Amino acid sequence: MKADKRTTQLARQLLKLSLDADGRPSAERVAGVLAYIEKTKPARALALLHAYHRLLAVEVARTQAVIEHAGPVSDAIVEQIAAVMTQKYNRPIVAAPKPAPALIAGLRIRVGDDVYDNSALGALKELADATAI
Amino acid sequence: MTVLEQVEAQIAQLSNRTTKRNTGTIRALADGVAQIDGLSGVMYNEMVQFPGNAIGIALNLGQDEVGCVILGDIAKLKEGDEVQTTGKLLSVPVGKALLGRVVDALGQPVDGKGPIDARETYPVERIAPGIIARKSVSQPVFTGITAIDSMIPIGRGQRELIIGDRGTGKTTIAIDTILNQAKINKVGLASGDPKFRPIYSIYVAVGQKNSNIVRTIATLEAAGALEYTVIVAAPAADNVANQYIAPFAGAAMGEWFMENDMDALIIYDDLSKHAVAYRQISLILKRPSGREAYPGDVFYLHSRLLERAARLDGKGSLTALPIVETLAGDISAYIPTNIISITDGQIFLETDLFNQGTRPAVSVGLSVSRVGSAAQIKATKQVGGKLKGELAQFRELAAFAQFGSDLDERTKKQLDRGSRIVELFKQPASAPIPIEQQCVTLWAMQKGYYDALEIKDIIPAARSLREFFATRKDALLAEIRTKAALDKDLESKIKAAADEWKLTQKA
Repeated sequence: MKADKRTTQLARQLLKLSLDADGRPSAERVAGVLAYIEKTKPARALALLHAYHRLLAVEVARTQAVIEHAGPVSDAIVEQIAAVMTQKYNRPIVAAPKPAPALIAGLRIRVGDDVYDNSALGALKELADATAI
Repeated sequence: MTVLEQVEAQIAQLSNRTTKRNTGTIRALADGVAQIDGLSGVMYNEMVQFPGNAIGIALNLGQDEVGCVILGDIAKLKEGDEVQTTGKLLSVPVGKALLGRVVDALGQPVDGKGPIDARETYPVERIAPGIIARKSVSQPVFTGITAIDSMIPIGRGQRELIIGDRGTGKTTIAIDTILNQAKINKVGLASGDPKFRPIYSIYVAVGQKNSNIVRTIATLEAAGALEYTVIVAAPAADNVANQYIAPFAGAAMGEWFMENDMDALIIYDDLSKHAVAYRQISLILKRPSGREAYPGDVFYLHSRLLERAARLDGKGSLTALPIVETLAGDISAYIPTNIISITDGQIFLETDLFNQGTRPAVSVGLSVSRVGSAAQIKATKQVGGKLKGELAQFRELAAFAQFGSDLDERTKKQLDRGSRIVELFKQPASAPIPIEQQCVTLWAMQKGYYDALEIKDIIPAARSLREFFATRKDALLAEIRTKAALDKDLESKIKAAADEWKLTQKA
């Protein structure tokens, strides 16, 4: 269901209410927002929830470094990546390791829209693109 | 560190390279336009890489989403596909390697003649040359059409609109101009004159039928003009994004000639269809619509395109001949008025004149060239300087003469002369006349060489005069061409030759 302008604006306001002092989505605040929606039953509630979900997903992705890895990755490296990303983006970023054997070797880190690729799969794709006719 | 270790370190550095990409996902796809979530780092007008080697251009940068037009095949794309920024602006190949080729809006060959060996690329969107870099228009572009070259002259670097209803001969004028450039180029290059500056042509077909484009290519090929021409084709069956980008791609190709001290002519056929393609894109992108549902920036769309045609100081020039199709002769519609106000004049073609057999159907009253007279050669000014006024008077008198039969002698004379000029300006398609032959024909008109003839005999007589000069007075024609002005000596030579021709007519 497509959200209209008003619904999107309300979803944005709800998103603001869902962030804690550090600017990260907080489970407690999200629960509060959901309870408010449940209680007040605003017009186009489904569209509002969809819009809210979309905005929240973007926000969660912004505060998370999803580390996809083909082989084992030590906790120290995960912590180091989180620290580097926090410094780079100037906001608290939590690391979330995720095994991905399809990468063959190496790592791929996703923070919001940005993807840092140092995997064998990425290198092969790059090579394939470069040689494509 | 040994030499081998040094190389190994370099290899390790390269193979360990981390690439950073800014990505997004397709949320919605419709009519060649994609709404994308993400792409927070994308720039306006940046190329976006879609799966399957399709390319998009970011046109709408919203708070949560980005609107992209997709160039190429959209059939393989689907919702949820990942896209990424490229950090580059859309560019097309440029250079002389494109001459004689037919390319699409991205500069890729579509004529089956193999890849194009272009070494340079130019961005499709470029800022037009500023005031300081420009120079006034002072060199002519001969269309080969007597009515235009004598009354509505065009100069190098000028923007002259060709406007009229459908089927009034707009494209024919453009094609004839290209044919004439090829003719002049051949003569000029063969002469070995170091000062000769050829004009290369770019024909941009927007939203046209493929059959029409094929016909145009065949005409150019048959006349040997294709070797001086680049054809950018974005036919009606093409994606609207390609139709939107094609004129800009053509302009980039023309700018290469201009920047590299050469002269080029670009024809946008036609900008009404281009505006319609842009309107479609804008409506799908949900931009606010204005008059006739066109977006508010449709004026800017065409002004930034046409401003790129210029004559540069110390460099070359780019002359633009945009074409606009009117409905029922309404030049006060939105797009026609916009483009009329941007260009340096217009050639208005009338359906009535066309149907009466006056072809090219140039309306003298509504056509104007604002800067071209500075570029007109003196010889044409000498023989055709008063023609526009005479024809305008004739049109006015002819309208009055319809209501009364008893006209005074002076009026009758003016009407007779006017109808003779109209007859003399009739010219078939794909038969441009060299400027020196035009001068001779008009000179003969001014001196009354056709006065004794029946009106229906004027066209054959003028043709015979041109043939006479071309076959027997070649040196005289060359003298007119090089001198570009008629002095007493030259006029006496023309008179002697014309008298000689007259004798052949009597016989």
